[in-house]
Amino acid sequence: MTSGTSAASRPFHPAFGLRLALWYAALFVGGWAVVVFLTYWLTAASLAQRDHEILNAKLGQYAAAYERGGLRALTETVQAEQRTAPERLFVRVVDRGAEAIVLSQPEGWDLRRLEIASLSLMDGTLVQVGKSTAAREDLLARFRAVLGMVTLTVVLVALTGGFFVTRSAVRPIRRLTRAVARIISTGRTDERVPLTGDGAGDAIDELTRLFNAMLDKIEGLVTAMRGALDNVSHDLRTPLTRLRGTAEMALAATPDLDRCRDALADCVEESDRVLVMLNTLMDISEAESGTMHLRREALRLGDVVARAVDLYRDVADAKGIVLTAPTPADIVVVADGTRIEQVAANLIDNALKYTTAGGRVDVDVLADSSRARLRVRDTGAGIRPDELPHIWDRLFRGDSSRTERGLGLGLSLVKAIVEAHGGTVDVETEPGKGSVFTVALPRGEVPSKSAGQA
Amino acid sequence: MRVLIVEDDATIADFVARGLREAGFAVDVAADGEAALDRARQQAYAVAIVDLMLPKRDGLAVIDQMRRQGIQTPVLILSARRSVDDRVKGLQAGGDDYLTKPFAFAELLARVQALVRRATRAPEPTTLTVGDLVLDLLSRRVTRGGTPIDLHPREFTLLEYLMRNAGRVVSKTMIVSHVWEYTFDPQTNIVDVLVSRLREKIDRPFETRLLHTMRGVGYVLRTEA
Repeated sequence: MTSGTSAASRPFHPAFGLRLALWYAALFVGGWAVVVFLTYWLTAASLAQRDHEILNAKLGQYAAAYERGGLRALTETVQAEQRTAPERLFVRVVDRGAEAIVLSQPEGWDLRRLEIASLSLMDGTLVQVGKSTAAREDLLARFRAVLGMVTLTVVLVALTGGFFVTRSAVRPIRRLTRAVARIISTGRTDERVPLTGDGAGDAIDELTRLFNAMLDKIEGLVTAMRGALDNVSHDLRTPLTRLRGTAEMALAATPDLDRCRDALADCVEESDRVLVMLNTLMDISEAESGTMHLRREALRLGDVVARAVDLYRDVADAKGIVLTAPTPADIVVVADGTRIEQVAANLIDNALKYTTAGGRVDVDVLADSSRARLRVRDTGAGIRPDELPHIWDRLFRGDSSRTERGLGLGLSLVKAIVEAHGGTVDVETEPGKGSVFTVALPRGEVPSKSAGQA
Repeated sequence: MRVLIVEDDATIADFVARGLREAGFAVDVAADGEAALDRARQQAYAVAIVDLMLPKRDGLAVIDQMRRQGIQTPVLILSARRSVDDRVKGLQAGGDDYLTKPFAFAELLARVQALVRRATRAPEPTTLTVGDLVLDLLSRRVTRGGTPIDLHPREFTLLEYLMRNAGRVVSKTMIVSHVWEYTFDPQTNIVDVLVSRLREKIDRPFETRLLHTMRGVGYVLRTEA
C-alpha cells in the first residue's frame, strides 16, 4: 500500500473504532451495574427480613412468658435460652412506671448497631428485643468486596471485548476504504475487495458485493469504451488512407481538369463513407456497451417492418426480386421504433444484396407467448460454413460480398441493437439455397390505445 | 438578403460564406459569441447560421441572448453532436433548424433558403416549371412538352422536391430524408434506383436531359447541361 492511500483511510477509522468500542463497553458495564445493584439490594433486604422475623418470634415468645408468670418467668426464659442459644440477644422490659429492667445485654455491644423490635402488653409493659446487625453488615461488606472485584473484571472484559468486536467490525470497512483509495489513486478498475467469508450474509459483505458489482459495471463500460475507441481509430485509418491517396495522386499528376474533378468527387464520396462508418461504429459501440439511448415505446412490430420493406420496394423491383411484406398482426414489442426499423432495413438490404434476379425475399413477423420474431428469408447465395462464425464481426466481408458496396457493418449493427433490446438474432443458411435471419425480441403488452382501435 | 455566419473555424466559415455569396446572399462572419451578438444587434439578418462550440460565449447562449433582446432572425444551428437529445436541446433554446457536421453544402443552402421562405411567407405556387417540364401541384399531373407523364407517388415526391430546388444540387441524404422521411442513412442505393426510374420517365424519351448527376455531390434538375 502506498503512503497516499493509507493517509486517505486514516482520518476515518480510529475515531469511528474508538467510538464504537466505548459504546460497546458502556452498554456492557451499564447492564452489569444494573444486575449488581439489584442483587445487592435484594440480598440486603432479605437478610434484614430474616433478622426481623427472628426478633418478632422471640418477642412473641417472651411476651407469652411474661403474661404467664410475670417478670420472673420472663427472666427465667431468657436465662434458660441464653444458656442454649448460640447468639445472645438484647432484652429489656419497661413497666408502667417507666422503670427499665435490662435482662440481657451482651458485652461490648454498640447500642446503635442494634436492630430492635418492641411489643406493648395489655398492662402497658413494653418488651423490647434487640439483635446485633454486625454479622449482617459484615456479610454484606464481604459481598460488596466480591461484587467490586467481579465488576472490575467485567469492565476489563467489556473494554477488551469492545476493542476486538470493533476491530473485526471495522476491518472489512477498512479493507473497503483501502481498496477504494487504491482504485482512485491508481485508476485500476480490475481490483476487487475480498469478501470476509465468515459472515456470508451480513451487511458489510452485502456492501462489499455491491461495491464489487459496481466495479464490474464500471470496468465493463471503461473496457468497452476503450475498445470502441481503439476500433474506431483503427477502422478509420483505411478510408482516410484512400482519401489521402486519391488527393495526393491528383496533385502529383500533370494538371488535368477532368482528372482533378474525378479525384475531388472520389474524395467527397470517400469522406461520406467515412462519416457513415463513424456513425455506424459509434452506434455499434454504444449499443454494445449499453450506453445507447433507446426511446422505448410499445409498437406493432409489423408496422415498423412494413416501413422498412417499403423502403426497399423499388430496389427489389429493379433487381427483379420478389419482396413480400409481413401480414398485419397485433404483435407488440416495447422498443425504439427507429432502431428496430434500422435492424429490419439492414437485414432486408443484406438479403437483397445476395439474391439474384428471379429470387425471393420474404419478410414475416411471428410470435409465441414470450417472444416476437422478425424473419427475413432469402433464396440467395447462402453463407459458406467457414464464413458463418464471422458474419457478426465488425468489418467482416465474405468473399462473395466484396463486389457489393457496403461497409461490413450492417450485421454487427443488427446484432448490437437487437441485444441492446434484450433480444437475439440467429441465422440458418444453406449455401446455394439461401439464408434465414431471425430476430427475437421480448414481447410487450398490447397497448390499450391500439386494443381500443382493434 | 444578408446572412450572418457565426463560426470560429476559418475554413468552414470561408467555404460556407463563399457558397452563400455564389447563391446570391450577402454574408457577414463572426468568429465568436460576443462578436455575433454585436453584429446581430446592429443589423437585421435574414438568417443566422450559428455553430454551437464557440469561444467566449457558446452558440446556445448566443441564441438565447438574441431571443431575449427580441431579435427574431431565424437561426440554423451547426453542431458536431448528432444525438436526438442535442437536436432537441438546440431547438428548445430558440434555434429554428439543426444541421450536423460534417454536412453537404447543398443541404445547408437548402435549409437556409427554407428558413428564408418560411420567414417571408412567399405565396405558394400551384405549378412548378423547369424548361418544358411542368408539374401541377393541385391536379398532381406532370407533362413535358405537352406529353403527359405517369409517375408513381414516390417518383412524384422526388420530382417535386427536385423542381422546388431547380438549379441547385440536392444530396442523397436530403432525398432520403425528404422522400422516405428517414433520419438514418440506410446505406443503400435506394436513391440511385428511384432517380434512375424517374430519369427513365422524364428524360429518356426526350431530347435534352434535365436531371443531372453531380458525382460525389448529388443531383440537380436544370435546363442547361
